Amino acid sequence: MNTKQIPISEMINIRVFYNKKSRAKYISHLDITRCMQRALKRAGLPIWYTEGFNPHIYLTFALPLSLGYESESESMDLRLVTEVPFEEVKDCLNRALPPDIRVTKVQLQKNKPDVIKTALYEITLKSDTVTGQVLKDCLDHMFSEEKIEVVKKTKKGNKMIDIKPDLEIQSIEVLDYAIHIELIASAGIEKNINPTLMTDELIGKYNLEDIQTSVMRKAIYDANGNEFE
Amino acid sequence: MADSLKDKLDQVLLNVQKPARYIGGELNSVIKDKQDVDIRFAFCFPDTYEVGMSHLGMKILYSLLNDRDDVWCERVFAPWLDFEEQMKKHNIPLYGLESLEPLSEFDIIGFTLQYELSFTNILNMLKLGNVPLLCSERKGLKNLVVAGGPCACNPEPLVDFIDLFMLGEGEEVMHELMDLYKASVKANDTKETFLQKASQIGGVYVPSLYDVTYNEDGTIKEIIAKENAPLPVQKRIIKDFDSVYYPEKFIVPFIGTVHDRAIVEVLRGCIRGCRFCQAGFLYRPFREKNSDTLIKNGKSLCETTGYEEISLSSLSTSDYSQLESLLTEFIDYTNDNQVNLTLPSLRVDNFSEELLEKIASVRKSGLTFAPEAGTQRLRDVINKNVLESDVLNSCTIAFAGGYTSVKLYFMLGLPTETLDDIKGIIELAQKVVNAYYEMENRPKGKGVQVTVSVSTFVPKPFTPFQYEPQDTLEMIDEKQKHLVQSVTSKKINVKYHDSKTSVLEAVFARGDRRLGKVMLKAYQDGCYFDSWDECFHYGKWMKAFEECGIDPAFYANRKRSYEEVLPWSHLDYGVSERFLQNEHQKAVASTTTKNCRLQCSACGANKLLGGACFEY
Repeated sequence: MNTKQIPISEMINIRVFYNKKSRAKYISHLDITRCMQRALKRAGLPIWYTEGFNPHIYLTFALPLSLGYESESESMDLRLVTEVPFEEVKDCLNRALPPDIRVTKVQLQKNKPDVIKTALYEITLKSDTVTGQVLKDCLDHMFSEEKIEVVKKTKKGNKMIDIKPDLEIQSIEVLDYAIHIELIASAGIEKNINPTLMTDELIGKYNLEDIQTSVMRKAIYDANGNEFE
Repeated sequence: MADSLKDKLDQVLLNVQKPARYIGGELNSVIKDKQDVDIRFAFCFPDTYEVGMSHLGMKILYSLLNDRDDVWCERVFAPWLDFEEQMKKHNIPLYGLESLEPLSEFDIIGFTLQYELSFTNILNMLKLGNVPLLCSERKGLKNLVVAGGPCACNPEPLVDFIDLFMLGEGEEVMHELMDLYKASVKANDTKETFLQKASQIGGVYVPSLYDVTYNEDGTIKEIIAKENAPLPVQKRIIKDFDSVYYPEKFIVPFIGTVHDRAIVEVLRGCIRGCRFCQAGFLYRPFREKNSDTLIKNGKSLCETTGYEEISLSSLSTSDYSQLESLLTEFIDYTNDNQVNLTLPSLRVDNFSEELLEKIASVRKSGLTFAPEAGTQRLRDVINKNVLESDVLNSCTIAFAGGYTSVKLYFMLGLPTETLDDIKGIIELAQKVVNAYYEMENRPKGKGVQVTVSVSTFVPKPFTPFQYEPQDTLEMIDEKQKHLVQSVTSKKINVKYHDSKTSVLEAVFARGDRRLGKVMLKAYQDGCYFDSWDECFHYGKWMKAFEECGIDPAFYANRKRSYEEVLPWSHLDYGVSERFLQNEHQKAVASTTTKNCRLQCSACGANKLLGGACFEY
């Protein structure tokens, strides 16, 4: 696989969409990068390697996912040095990936990751003792207040921010001892709000004990609400 | 069962560091239906995931067992302290990473014994898995606890806890043991009947079939075999090493591990006979694979794992007879496929410019040489067969090749060592520094860094030094101080380790059956993960020794006579006691022994092959 002579202009920039579920949610972003590099290698696809002292597979991820979240909308960008049908790229990768990471779609990069403005999350709060109705009432109450102030850890230290303008609840489904929330939250380079900030605040504010939280990222959108492609 | 455990894990895993260690699901891990297998085997590595997943033996036996339709082999590692705390809090038993089912569900629980300081982790893992610690508490065939690996050469400190040991190489004996276990379960055998039958398999040591009696001075009087058990028990070896089973796939971990790469096993054994080195004697006789086999093994692993690095592993890879042709052919493949080729074990006396070029053509990593001792006299005592000029030549080649730092390994506390030998370590390091500055075309404006890394010598069974006392803590401390005071340059950086762990290592390496109760006591007082500084409690260990009425110095610091019945004298690893004694005498006289390729020194291991190791 000698790839060095091909000019960048002739390479094919592709975007690979994939799911990350079940046991795979415990793989950190850093480890996903290595896992994908190895999968690409196993798949035997004509991938472009960076040149220089320490060649490695050129790979970028649109929106890193927090450890512990599942996702149906992950994407990574890479370069092929020769044309391969997208369906074939998908099949090759799926054969090479561990079972809990599945490629769903391969396409050309239609827009840049900096267009990302929001993401849709499905959040499940589950408990053995607190009813779904109580959970919903608490959530409604929290959102009826003027601000939802939480502590956000940043590189410069912790700061208080109001996350209410960054959150939009799409739906709430109440079960006996659980609720499912569909939530749109700010996402992307400029502002990225982690839904766990909201759920942790909810649990802390109302002293809810024994709550299990699980989060699944369902989709990623641009400023007009169109899906990131 | 598995579902409820997975739910519980989902509750706690985000509260611990590196949760990916505890959930499995890695590429090439093997999932089977438990209804379809006869034997569920838990392969337990008594240390963390990162350490255990680096171990080649586990990879080989995991694949070998899972290639059988009747066995499902899973992996189990010692949980780190934060996760252990969560496990206890949420009532989560230790479990297999593939099925997420508790250790107590497994038919056979196998431990690999890589170093003495991991022994207490075995107790902790059994405990966390709800498996009774003592052999006597486990009545039936279920939860049979077995062990193998280098420390099985003196397994006596562990006989209270482990039902049977496999001595030597496992690739064949493992199959025989599985076949017997399956038949015994079918025949409804008692555990005693099974163990008696197992003792008839070559390489299987069943400690309960041997009685040990003691003299008044605490030494062993006699070891007697019962119920037709063999005496001695001979270790197993693979006669045709080139065609031995080798996995086509490795599990690829998600998190970084200590050695996260593909490995091909170039050779077993070692021709060198360094007198301190247990592995050099345990794995005799010397056997190599053909370079074609290695290339086949290597390509297969690169293709199935996607690893960016492959290492040519052995005790001394530069002694491989086909190294040049292997490298020439294999480097073409690794270069074309963006794979970094590494050779971890090189010797200073045959480290050539060509070899360096071949390694450097891939990627630069650090260079380490192991002179082991600071003076020629002491290097002759340990039979290192390395000259000062070899060390200086190798370092000069490395410097000329663009390296500006080298690491030199030494041991402190070797038999016959004096303070002059210790000063010699620094003098050698200084000569390496000088060699750099004497080089005319050295990189401009760049200094050199020589790291002197010093470990404490531990006398081990089946080596010529098995008779030797270990230096006391006080002696080692004094020597370490002398070493640091001898440093003559800022370019020399000395690294050494607290020697208290070496004392414990020495006690268990040459220990006997009476140490089982000390181990249990220390474990109950909170000693495990002893090889991790933050978990090592020397005080608690000494208290446990005292409470059991056992003096650690009896094991660590006492000289043994050739007449003494050693705790492992009923086990046969091929090398004869007469040879070890002869080598010991030559050591004391600073006389070297030629390497096996130059001349056979009649160690006795060739009887395992049924012929000479080399044609002369």
